Amino acid sequence: MFLAWNEIKNNKLRFTLIVGVLMLVSYLVFFLSGLANGLENMNKEAVDKWDGQGVILTEESDINLPQSSLTLDDYNGEGVDEYASLAQINSIATSDDHKSNVSIFGIDKEEFIMPNVIEGDAFAKEGEVIANESLKDEGFKLGDKLSLSSTEEDLTIVGFTNNAKFNAAPVLYTDLYTLQKVRYGKAAENYEDRINAFILRTDNLSDIEVPDELQVVDTTTFIENLPGYSEQNLTLTFMIYFLFIISAVVLAIFLYVLTIQKVSIFGVMKAQGISSSYLARSVIAQTFLLAIAGVIIGFILTMITGFFLPAAVPVAFNYLDLLVYGIVLIFVSVLGALFSIQTIVKIDPLKAIGG
Amino acid sequence: MAILEMNQVNKFFGSGHTEIEALKPTNFQAEKGELIAVIGPSGSGKSTFLTIAGGLQTPTNGKVIINEMDITSLKEKKRSAIRLREIGFVLQASNLVPFLTVSQQMQLLDKVKKHNLSAEKLKELYQSLGIEDLLNSFPSDLSGGERQRVAIAKALYTDPSIILADEPTASLDSDRAFEVMEMLKEATTKNDKTTIVVTHDTRLIDYCDKVYNITDGRLSLKQPSH
Ligand SMILES: Nc1ncnc2c1ncn2[C@@H]1O[C@H](COP(=O)(O)OP(=O)(O)OP(=O)(O)O)[C@@H](O)[C@H]1O
Ligand SMILES: [Mg+2]
Repeated sequence: MFLAWNEIKNNKLRFTLIVGVLMLVSYLVFFLSGLANGLENMNKEAVDKWDGQGVILTEESDINLPQSSLTLDDYNGEGVDEYASLAQINSIATSDDHKSNVSIFGIDKEEFIMPNVIEGDAFAKEGEVIANESLKDEGFKLGDKLSLSSTEEDLTIVGFTNNAKFNAAPVLYTDLYTLQKVRYGKAAENYEDRINAFILRTDNLSDIEVPDELQVVDTTTFIENLPGYSEQNLTLTFMIYFLFIISAVVLAIFLYVLTIQKVSIFGVMKAQGISSSYLARSVIAQTFLLAIAGVIIGFILTMITGFFLPAAVPVAFNYLDLLVYGIVLIFVSVLGALFSIQTIVKIDPLKAIGG
Repeated sequence: MAILEMNQVNKFFGSGHTEIEALKPTNFQAEKGELIAVIGPSGSGKSTFLTIAGGLQTPTNGKVIINEMDITSLKEKKRSAIRLREIGFVLQASNLVPFLTVSQQMQLLDKVKKHNLSAEKLKELYQSLGIEDLLNSFPSDLSGGERQRVAIAKALYTDPSIILADEPTASLDSDRAFEVMEMLKEATTKNDKTTIVVTHDTRLIDYCDKVYNITDGRLSLKQPSH
């Protein structure tokens, strides 16, 4: 530490550069992690909200909710603690000059998908909906009449709930009949029992028996099969992992150059009898200090940016993730430093002294 | 009892046509309290001799014994520990760490070795070297002579039994050179050390108890101690 710290103090410019690079890399890692997390939430918030362990869909649907079509009497709740029926369509809702993609959930008010109401009232009459509060940011308010892209039917926002996005679209909760009206218009009566899925609450998902044309899917699999979800996640995760490699390599190069520059200094110290392991530990300690500084500054910058970011940007920081990524960054930086250790070990003190 | 002993030590460099015997088979002994000079022309093998004596390189044949310990066949790791404990090097080129102040050069040694000079003794050492006002300076702010004196302080600070100096006075004017020799002399006699000074400056040999000549790798005693 003594050597490491004094060297840093006396070579501020070069070490500031290293910290700067680490700071930028960690900033990017933290931000991407926030973005990944935010996008993930946007996709699955409503699924987390209904808090089920599994979903019953048709075999043909390929685990895609809108493609799954079944009827209320396809399943009677055998083998689960609780179940709820869900009909769902995607649409575009317009009110005055506000416009938003929405995902409409047709549910039974008495079942557990029914959301909490944080403002206004629950839907009671035909055509009434509880909307996700994110629609407020887009200019919608209580009492707004929503016209939909797919139908003549109008919906009215009577209440707001929170944390309800499905596949990136805010959810409108309404009763089953209203949804069928939106979907089938005048013919709704004939299709009243048409739904897309049953949501299950149970601890033994694997024990549930359904007919051949249906399948039971656990919630994780269901989320992973949301359109675009896995691809998005994979891309961002890949970028983050790549940044780990970049920071290790950049650090390795930086420290290697610094080590090469210091060969004669190390040699002189070794001639005196200072062991290679002391010098190696000093380089590791130095890297550790620099990495911690870079990661912490990167973190602070990320937080500041997050604070000023408009709500529409889907960034949500998971502090546990950030902590893990921060530690990994410090760890790979130190790995980069190990690359220079063998150089230090190989330095011949005799060369440093010169004949 | 000799503190440093070399038995039939020689050193070859290169191989085949380019092989040279930089140090011919050499027997050498140094006792406590002796200040020894090794003089010879450039390329004669002075540094080779000194670095083998200090365990910085291994001889091709023969044995090097420091303080009753045969270091010839030890691994670098062990030799490094012995250098730290037993030997103080003063080198011609500056052997200071550029990003440490004068007093930090000594602190660094505290980090890697116990039982260095007491604060009091260190202060005396600084004073006798005339560097007590330079303690917070970095090597780059010192003159060549000042750097050399700091290097001597560094070599003496660990309280080694053997001091090996390779042309310690090369970058000094003659007044300073004599001063440095006096200091080495004092450290040697007062603290019962053994000091070997490699030099080609024949004016310095008056300070020494023994003078060895080295030509073409052959070491020979020039005159008996006086
Ligand atoms: N690592 C080496 N490889 C090959 N030859 C070497 C090596 N080190 C020294 N020599 C040779 O051994 C001989 C003695 O070298 P040495 O450095 O001991 O001379 P020196 O007496 O210290 O000279 P100077 O006064 O110039 O410092 C020289 O001919 C030199 O070329
Ligand atoms: Mg030499």
